[in-house]
Amino acid sequence: MSEQREPRMIMVRDLWTIRLHWFNAFGWALLVASGLGIISGDSLRLAPAFWPEFLQGLFGGNAALITGHAVVGLVWVAGIALFVALRWRTVVVPFLREVLSITPWAVIDDMRFMGITLAKLFGFMKDAKLAPQGRYNGAQRLLGTLIIVASLAIAVSGLYLFFAPKLFSFAASPVFGFLFRTALLIHAAAVFLVLIGLVAHIYFAVVEERESLETMKSGYASVEFIHHHNPLWYEQLKREGKV
Amino acid sequence: MTKRYVMLADITRCINCKACVVACRAEWETPLGHSRDWVKEVELSTTDGFPIVQLFPGRCQHCDDAPCVEACPSGAAWKREDGIVLVDDALCSGCELCVPACPYEARWLNPETNTISKCTFCQPRVDEGLQPACVQTCVGGALKFGDANDPDSEVSRLLREKEWVQLTTAEVPGGTSHYYHTGGAPLPNEVLPRPVGEHIQAALLGNVVNPVASVGIGGMVAAFLGAGVKKIIDRRNALAGEKENKHE
Repeated sequence: MSEQREPRMIMVRDLWTIRLHWFNAFGWALLVASGLGIISGDSLRLAPAFWPEFLQGLFGGNAALITGHAVVGLVWVAGIALFVALRWRTVVVPFLREVLSITPWAVIDDMRFMGITLAKLFGFMKDAKLAPQGRYNGAQRLLGTLIIVASLAIAVSGLYLFFAPKLFSFAASPVFGFLFRTALLIHAAAVFLVLIGLVAHIYFAVVEERESLETMKSGYASVEFIHHHNPLWYEQLKREGKV
Repeated sequence: MTKRYVMLADITRCINCKACVVACRAEWETPLGHSRDWVKEVELSTTDGFPIVQLFPGRCQHCDDAPCVEACPSGAAWKREDGIVLVDDALCSGCELCVPACPYEARWLNPETNTISKCTFCQPRVDEGLQPACVQTCVGGALKFGDANDPDSEVSRLLREKEWVQLTTAEVPGGTSHYYHTGGAPLPNEVLPRPVGEHIQAALLGNVVNPVASVGIGGMVAAFLGAGVKKIIDRRNALAGEKENKHE
C-alpha cells in the first residue's frame, strides 16, 4: 500500500465569500471614485479640483453624482448585510473570531508583527523572528478590524448623509445639522483610514504573495503555503483532519 | 464681454425707510424673523460730541473669492461668471457649513425650505433684465445695480465719479461685488466683516483628516512603490549571482 500524501491544495473559501470580497472591492472602487468627486468646496475636498469638475460634468451635475453614489452605497450595504444575515453562523462568526484584534495585548502583538514584517520588506530587522500566526497574521488582523469598524461607520454615516436632509427639518433642531456635519467628518475619515491600509493590502496581494490573490479567485490554497505562512492554522487544520 | 454685476450703496442717500427690506421680503417670501437684506444703524459722535447715525444697507457682498463656496461640501454654494453668488437648492442639505464662513452673516437656514437663503441680487429678475427688488424700490436712490463691465452703465459712471469703499479688512481681504459711498467718512467697526469662521467638523476635516490622508495615502503608495523597486533589484541581483555561480 502506497503512502498516503496530504492533498497539495485545500479549499479555504467558498464561492460566495469570494464573490463578496470582489463585490466589496468593486463597490469600494466606485464609491471612493464618486465620493471624491462629490466633495466640492476647496477647504473640504481631498481630490484635486479637476476630479469633482470632471465627474460632475460627466454626470450632468452633482445631484446626479450624489444619487449615483447613494445607489451604489445602498447596494453595497444591502449586499454585505444580506451576506452577513445568510452566512452569520457558518462564515461571519468564525471570520470575526479569527480576524478581530480587540484586546490591547492582541493589538500590541499584531502591531509588533506588522512592524517587523514591514521592516523586513525594506531590508531591516532581517534576524528578527516573527511569532507563528494563525489563519490571519497580525497585519491582516489589524487591517481586518479597521475595515470592519470603518465600514460600519461609513455605512451608518452615509445613510444619515443621504436620508437625513430628506427626513428631518434641520431648522427644527441644531442637532440634525450637527449630526450631518459629524457624519460627513466620520465618513471621510473612515474612508481615508481604510485607503491607507488598502495600499499595503493590494501590494501584498499583487506583488509579495501572489498565491493569496489566487486563493481569493479560486478558493483553494496550497498546504505548503499555509504551513509556511500560517503555522498555527496549519496545526489547527491538522487537528481537524483537513490536511 | 462677460457681465460683472455690482451693487452700489450710497449711504449719504439712505433714509432708513427699509423699503428695500420690505421689497426683498415680499419678493422672496421670507419667513417671519428672516430677511435677505437689512439696514444697519451705527450711532457715532463727531469730534465735537455731536451724535450722528450712519445707515448701511447690507446683504451678501458677493465676494470675489467667496468663503461660503469654499466651505460648501456639495457645491450648492456657487458663483456665476457675472459675480453673483447663488445657492442651488436641489444640492443644499442645510448642513450650515457655509454659515460661519460668511464674514457678513448673510446666510441663514430657511425653516420653510430647509436650505440656505441669502441675497442673490434677485438673480431671476436680473436675468429677465429687471433690477433687484431692493434697488427698484429704494426711495432715496441710495441703491444702484448694474454691469460694471459696461462703461456706459450708470454704475460704471458712479464708480468713476464718486469715492467707493468695500467692507473688507486685513483679515477678510479680497474684493466684493458691493460698494459703499460714505461721503469720505471712515467705515465704522460695526459694519466691518467678522473673520471667516468654521464649524469644528470643517476645521477637523480641512486641518487634520485631509492632511493626514494626503500624507498617509501618498506615503504608503511611495513606500510600497519603493518596496516593489527594491524587490525587483534584489531579484536581479539574485539572478546575476546565480549566473555567476553557474559560470564558476
